[in-house]
Amino acid sequence: MESVVSIYIVENNFLLRSGIEGLIQEIPGLILKEVFEGNEKNLYEKLIDKKPDIIIVDPNSLGDNFISIISKLQDEADIKIIGLTREDCPENICSRFKYQLPYEANKHILLENLRDACGSDALLKKNKQGSLSKRELVILKEVVKGLTNQEVADKLFLSIHTVMTHRKNITKKLGIKTVSGLMVYALMNNIIDINEVG
Amino acid sequence: MLIVGEMKLAEVIHHDYNLVPVVNRFNIPLGFGDGTIKQICAERNVNLEFLLSILNTFHDPQYFPKDHLKSFPASIIVNYLHKAHTYYLDEKIPQIKQMIKQLFELSEGNKKTLNLISNFFNNYCKEFESHVDREEAEVYPYVLALEEALKNSSKEKHINEELLKYSIGTYEEDHEDVEEKLFDMKSLIIKYLPLESADNKLFEEVSYSLLRELFVLEKDLNEHSRIEDLILVPKVEGMEKQYKSKL
Ligand SMILES: [Fe+2]
Ligand SMILES: [Fe+2]
Repeated sequence: MESVVSIYIVENNFLLRSGIEGLIQEIPGLILKEVFEGNEKNLYEKLIDKKPDIIIVDPNSLGDNFISIISKLQDEADIKIIGLTREDCPENICSRFKYQLPYEANKHILLENLRDACGSDALLKKNKQGSLSKRELVILKEVVKGLTNQEVADKLFLSIHTVMTHRKNITKKLGIKTVSGLMVYALMNNIIDINEVG
Repeated sequence: MLIVGEMKLAEVIHHDYNLVPVVNRFNIPLGFGDGTIKQICAERNVNLEFLLSILNTFHDPQYFPKDHLKSFPASIIVNYLHKAHTYYLDEKIPQIKQMIKQLFELSEGNKKTLNLISNFFNNYCKEFESHVDREEAEVYPYVLALEEALKNSSKEKHINEELLKYSIGTYEEDHEDVEEKLFDMKSLIIKYLPLESADNKLFEEVSYSLLRELFVLEKDLNEHSRIEDLILVPKVEGMEKQYKSKL
């Protein structure tokens, strides 16, 4: 779970969507998380909220919102954006994309481009995340003692938002979603003592 | 692939072996020959539309069974769900518990981790049982009573006040996720099961079987919940509307 590059697609056209999905499946370590329609409400917020590694965007699906959404997305340094580009794609749109999947390219080239965009660093970065950071360990301890996110935040002088981000990362790294699962993990690895939990 | 009545059941199962337990739950034992789904349903008195909805739900996570909703009675859905519950509680869970027990017997090392995993699973089972209990004791009887009331409503003029007190929406709202913990259990086993000595081959074998069972059960439960949320709930919502319109 922690060793994958998460991909989101913005594409209204079913045939194109299936094609992109097929490409993604060919590269191990990439996982397609969700597909959005270009005209969805609060699309930018929804995308950002998912903390994607890569977003594949079809400018045609975004229509008039293209510039405003792309500009905002490009401000997010951690997210790579790949554009689905047509031969007749206007220069001011094409040039927005460092990485492209051209309509007319063959499968081999498309896969190359996709791999380029993911970069080996993306995979490496993710693989390294196996163990928890010190901060995450502290938070894990409190969570398995039965504290709510708000209580953890109060106790450690953090914002609830920060606590929730850490919780998400812990779950991502360990592949464990529930508090009781985390408790077992913590006990197994001697992060807490059985007497510390209720 | 969209599964339709004209397909041969044997071929459909070759294509997706996850459908085996489904077919089994419909009392279609193996050895059903070369018939199409339609023919086999007719022979065995199985509701074709319902079987197709269930097969497709299991086969394709994107499938949404809109068109078939009205064509079969709610009691068929309830009957199916009830059978599935029995299968989980009387077959699958005891099987998994048995495997954990075997691991204990085979393990030569420290039992701490096994103890933790085993407690985790036992707690999960209790939660799962109460989830099922609620459905069996509260939700399904309501659905059946509603169906009965609708059947008779043309004859009887009075409305059953009891039925109006409950609504399937309440169930839908707090119908909780029962697969999450199985997911965690898989992670715990995959990543953190203690190493036994290399020649403890039996231990290894049983732990792989256990993991496989967890994967299968998790998937099965996942589809089960989808059937509850996507087939049962909308169907009953429709029935509620119909019943209230008689007021
Ligand atoms: Fe159920
Ligand atoms: Fe359920």
